[in-house]
Amino acid sequence: MKQPQTSRRSFLALAALTPFAVAATSACGTSGPGASSGGGGASMWYLSGEPNQTTMQKAVDAFNPANSADKITVTYFQNDAYKTKIKTAIGANQAPTIIYGWGGGGLKTYAEANQVDDLTGWFDQNPDLKKKFFPSVFGAATVNGKIYALPNQYIAPIVLFYNKDLFQKAGVQPPQTWDDIMSLVKTFNDMGVAPFSLGGQSRWTSMMWLEYLLDRIGGPEVFNAIFEGKPNAWMDPAVIQTGTKIQELVSADGFIKGFSSITADSQADQALLFSGKAAMMLHGSWTYGAMKKAGQNFVQNGKLGFVPFPTVAGGKGDPKNGVGNPAQYMSISSKASDKEKESAKKFFKDGILTDTVIDAYINSGSVPIVNGIENKLNMSEDKEFLNFVYGMAKNAPNFQQSWDQALSPTAAEALLNNIDQLFLKSITPQQFAENMNATLGK
Amino acid sequence: MSNAVSTAPRAAVRPASSKPTEQRKTALAWLTLPALFFFLVFAVVPLAGVLILSFASWDGIGAIGAAGLDNWFSVLADPGLYNALGLTFLIMIVSWLVQTPISLLLGVFTAGSQRYRAALAVLYFLPLLLSSAAVAIAFKALLDPNFGLATGLGLPFLAQDWLGVPQLALGLVIFVIAWQFVPFHTLIYQGGVRQIPKSLYEAAQIDGAGTIKQFFHITLPQLKYTIITSSTLMVVGSLTYFDLIFVLTGGGPGNSTRILALDMYLRGFRANLMGPASVIAVILVIIGLALALFLQRLGGKDKQGSQLEGL
Amino acid sequence: MVGYSAAPNRGLGTRLRRLNIPGGLGGWLWLAIIILPVYYVVITSLKTQAGYFGQNPLALPTSPTLENYQMVLEADFATYFINSAIVTLGSVIPTVLVSFMASFAIVRGAGRFLKLVNGMFLMGLAIPLQATIIPIYLMIIRLNLYDSLLALMLPSIAFAIPLTVLILSNFIRDVPNELFESMRLDGCSEWQTMWRLALPLTRPAIVTVAIYNGLHVWNGFLLPLVLTQSPSLRVLPLGLWTFQGEFSVNIPAVLASVVLSTLPILVLYVIGRRQLLAGLTAGFSK
Repeated sequence: MKQPQTSRRSFLALAALTPFAVAATSACGTSGPGASSGGGGASMWYLSGEPNQTTMQKAVDAFNPANSADKITVTYFQNDAYKTKIKTAIGANQAPTIIYGWGGGGLKTYAEANQVDDLTGWFDQNPDLKKKFFPSVFGAATVNGKIYALPNQYIAPIVLFYNKDLFQKAGVQPPQTWDDIMSLVKTFNDMGVAPFSLGGQSRWTSMMWLEYLLDRIGGPEVFNAIFEGKPNAWMDPAVIQTGTKIQELVSADGFIKGFSSITADSQADQALLFSGKAAMMLHGSWTYGAMKKAGQNFVQNGKLGFVPFPTVAGGKGDPKNGVGNPAQYMSISSKASDKEKESAKKFFKDGILTDTVIDAYINSGSVPIVNGIENKLNMSEDKEFLNFVYGMAKNAPNFQQSWDQALSPTAAEALLNNIDQLFLKSITPQQFAENMNATLGK
Repeated sequence: MSNAVSTAPRAAVRPASSKPTEQRKTALAWLTLPALFFFLVFAVVPLAGVLILSFASWDGIGAIGAAGLDNWFSVLADPGLYNALGLTFLIMIVSWLVQTPISLLLGVFTAGSQRYRAALAVLYFLPLLLSSAAVAIAFKALLDPNFGLATGLGLPFLAQDWLGVPQLALGLVIFVIAWQFVPFHTLIYQGGVRQIPKSLYEAAQIDGAGTIKQFFHITLPQLKYTIITSSTLMVVGSLTYFDLIFVLTGGGPGNSTRILALDMYLRGFRANLMGPASVIAVILVIIGLALALFLQRLGGKDKQGSQLEGL
Repeated sequence: MVGYSAAPNRGLGTRLRRLNIPGGLGGWLWLAIIILPVYYVVITSLKTQAGYFGQNPLALPTSPTLENYQMVLEADFATYFINSAIVTLGSVIPTVLVSFMASFAIVRGAGRFLKLVNGMFLMGLAIPLQATIIPIYLMIIRLNLYDSLLALMLPSIAFAIPLTVLILSNFIRDVPNELFESMRLDGCSEWQTMWRLALPLTRPAIVTVAIYNGLHVWNGFLLPLVLTQSPSLRVLPLGLWTFQGEFSVNIPAVLASVVLSTLPILVLYVIGRRQLLAGLTAGFSK
């Protein structure tokens, strides 16, 4: 009678322990990207999505063989998921060695929590590297006078794209003023085509509209006041006017039906433009490259048009002002080992923006933040677009960083939430301003 | 004579073990230690942690500081909290109203003895197997206004912007939750119905009671504890419909499906406000406890007793 | 005798036949509601993307293809499956073990301590796991378990204990006292009684809680979302979510991933349906 008892019990015990054993070994194996095998090499998290994913992978693949002691391992994440995941990872002290970001308020949070290294000294030691970049890109990387990130990749202004075929069919010209936009909305709705594509569920896509509108109406001073946390800064009449105008656009069916359930991550919004379901799209310049890849020769056949954001009658903002991401930024986790940091810095210096990489970005329709590339741009098949973007970067009297990156994460989340509701017409522009006022200084 | 015979052997066979019963029974207490360990460390301690964190200020990245009552004041003054509370209760109540009758009737239906009902039951329980993420993703595709069911069935009514219009999104959420969980409660009711002794029905039939009368006078009362069990699981469970709503709508559009649990997650992990998120967590716990207590009271104190008594 | 046995049957049959029409209708309607989404998911997963955009959504694929499934498998779904299996087994087995022992003690034992423990577990029923996710996140970090499968198991076990104890103790309570007495008379200790008597008798309920908890953990999303980050440690629901985020324009591929992630449980369902369902009901209908 005893035998079955013991064997059953010991079987249960064994069965109970096995998953733990397996888990324990797998846990050891992945005790965090930060704590790799003690040698050199750095881990990096980057965004998935073409064409940049391939470009970055190629950069890493070119760097690694020549630098076997400093191998870089990349893990790819989707944009929206990345923004949450990286914060959790940093909070858990399991951040990758190289932290990708957009500078501004997010970077400030990391810097003030001592989670990223101060790179000012390193830049001083490498003046050539510093001189390589557009001078304007260091602003978003600087916190309290110190540089905490390497500016990287390309400048990404927001551009108004349009489908040339649809415009030809409708017999209209791309918009130059806000009134043009409103009349185009009617034209295209009558034609049965959505005037504007929008990935509203991502919310920062809707934010782009407000960024430009506010700048055109009230000039950059309005957001500067907000950024500095001046009391009541959101109640500026320009903000209210911006909210009103955007709701007019929504009410006029300016955006594609169902926009609030389309995400930008899936690139469905871009697909709507190049498949002819929408006539225009306000989006980041990086979508040019993405559409080039996925659009089945839409771009290559010259069907993609682009213009600056229109002016608003009576507005104070300079029409040459730009809005978007001045660059992308790479920081080094302060919790990484010294060897890992060295590997990362080596990659920063020698791997991340080599000539090959620069060419790759130019080929995919992006303008790298590197000085002296005018000739290269002119030789590209996309030179029209590239020069357009480059001109914007060079000549813009003011370039406003994306609001959700400039502000602190707390304020940014409230902002995105309120923008969502503004576009859904669940709150008035007045309420929007009041809600945002409550986040000043947070 | 027989008495003497029956008592004598009993006296002789007093407890073979020498330990007094009381001592043996309390010695059993150590058997609960492993469960207690897990529960205390990974459930009770975090519970205390939630309360403590609600008085702290932490962005999830830096150090944890003290914040006194600030978080409580800011959350209690935030209309977002009341929106989340309202939505949570709305979904809870409507879900109960929708799911319970359907599950009850289906439970009775599947407990019937016809063959085809058993075959149907096989298919009924399919949604039980799916993860909430899978269900949400499937429905998102299904309800695409251009390529989903609407075009397939030729029903323009289905071609609405389900996920884009606040009221529709809410209705959709309730429907999908029901789709996923009715099978589970049907199972519970089916089990409950199967336990009702046929003798009760036969007696009623002899008395001349019809089907409807039998349902209301026998089935329902006998299912009292089943209803309480199912309702408790449903109600407490509805406080935690995180997975499904997160994947389906992410709390949107706007805030129209931002239930309490989702609000807590977004506040903590997206807006970096762990303190206020913990306040919401405490509120969640309080509501959960209150509901459970209320439902227990409703079920009567002898819930612990075996239901086979008296039969 | 024949007349007697025939009469109740006929009576039952007539009664149920009268219930049939509204009941039957309702039953078939609900079936349609259940099956339609499932049908749609399966046939779409076999279409190509072009086919998806072109055909009627409810039509069978003109040229069915398995390329979506191939794509999903290449996207590491096998790894996700293994991770899910490890986490599920590693949560369910300890849960059932420790809960069974605790239930036995609560039912067969006496004393204030046990009453306290029982009450505490009952209160635990009301605590939603979601509410404690932030401190759990903090604790897991401090325990150096962040981004591990173990991190997923421990809280799962803790939160499964209350309901498991409730169901198991209800079952043990129904075991007639005489049986326990006779074990005692045979000279068995409580420990032996627990394993030799209570365990076999409680088997239906154990199956119930094992299946219930197993399903719960297998389909769990929040814990993996917060406590893991490496793609190699993703469990199925998380993998599913990530996949659909990236490929959401390719609906057939996304739905193929849905089917694949459900397939293991579906197989179990087909094989052991009766046990599965009987098991799920046995414990709850008390």
